[in-house]
Amino acid sequence: MAEGDARADCYPLADALPVDLADLDPGTNVLVSGPSMSGKRQLVFDLLAPTGVTADPVIVMTTDDPASRIRTGFEDRGVRFDPTTFRVVDATGAPGDSEPAVHRVSSPADLTRTGVAFTQAVDEMGTPDRLRLGFVSISTLLQYVDAERAFSFLHVLSRRTSAAGYLGVYSIDPTTHEDRFVNVVTSIFDAAIEIRERDGDRELRVRGPSDVPPEWTPFPY
Amino acid sequence: MTASEGGTVLIVDDDREVVRTYRRYLDETYTIREAYGGEAALDELDDDVDVVLLDRLMPGPSGREVLDRIREDGYDVRVAMVTAIDPDFDIVDMGFDDYVTKPTTRDELRRTVASLLELDQHAVDVRQYHSLLVKAAALREGKSTYELDENRAYTDLESRISDLEATLDDEAERLVDDSRFVATLRAIDTAAKREDADG
Repeated sequence: MAEGDARADCYPLADALPVDLADLDPGTNVLVSGPSMSGKRQLVFDLLAPTGVTADPVIVMTTDDPASRIRTGFEDRGVRFDPTTFRVVDATGAPGDSEPAVHRVSSPADLTRTGVAFTQAVDEMGTPDRLRLGFVSISTLLQYVDAERAFSFLHVLSRRTSAAGYLGVYSIDPTTHEDRFVNVVTSIFDAAIEIRERDGDRELRVRGPSDVPPEWTPFPY
Repeated sequence: MTASEGGTVLIVDDDREVVRTYRRYLDETYTIREAYGGEAALDELDDDVDVVLLDRLMPGPSGREVLDRIREDGYDVRVAMVTAIDPDFDIVDMGFDDYVTKPTTRDELRRTVASLLELDQHAVDVRQYHSLLVKAAALREGKSTYELDENRAYTDLESRISDLEATLDDEAERLVDDSRFVATLRAIDTAAKREDADG
């Protein structure tokens, strides 16, 4: 379990991870990687809104689940779907009603519009000093744009949030891409949290932060 | 744009005096093209043009309409709107990359053009960074750390990667500016689309 007090200005993680990592520095970008059905989306949500921690403003960018499912996912955790503190950039292209907390983009392939929607979401939340950005998922994005464009987009987005002192949490299913692509895209991030299954048991390891040993740790469902 | 030249700027304004002035401000550094209206601007535009300075209010197609055509055709070009009044609308949402308020000074105009070209370069650098990382990952496959350290091509690649990384990190601060962030993404988008169209 996470031990020690979270440092001021950092992003506390509470008990989201089964390792001794209490918080992350402002400007950190984290990659959450795991096969399908391994609970990585759940973990992304845990890192965006850890239980028992003062909520930070959150933006979830999705190419994967439509806004309504993201909404349900967060409401189940007791997070209020309030446009002053919570917004979704829905780039799935799925139709939906107009609502203040949702910024719709017609296709995951429209990276410029997705960027515009992000800036509008941030502006309309009053350009907060702290914010946690979730991105689900890199794997779906790659079904719409080639590796080079996806990489470039993720690089620019992650550097932008980093410069603003925000926390970025992105998900990927490494089993659906070539190892080479996964290695290359991982280099964008400051930390990688990997999930795997071994004989029916779930395990997790964290690579990147120097004070956390990169060892597989049991991570029960 | 090639490394040996400063880039090509297309100046679009129905006021010939304004065009002449901007040309004087810019022509020691850049190749200049001129157009005195929206239709002429579209005629002058091709893949060699890097930056368009586009007057907002012109007889015939307005700056806005010309911009829409430029974006529809997918030109890999950065467009700054030149306007007599401070834009009270969202230039980011409209698809402009920057704006200049009339009357502008030599310094301001030069700074705007230089900044748009730097942003283009940022998009090129990110793509280059990706391609070097892919090469390095390919070389690493099936090789030991010792073999890699002895491999001249690999060590050269590694040093180019860290140089580019430093360049990109220096630019990161500027991405907090909304219009610059979006314009950088657009530069990535249009460069890729242009390549698809060519290939």
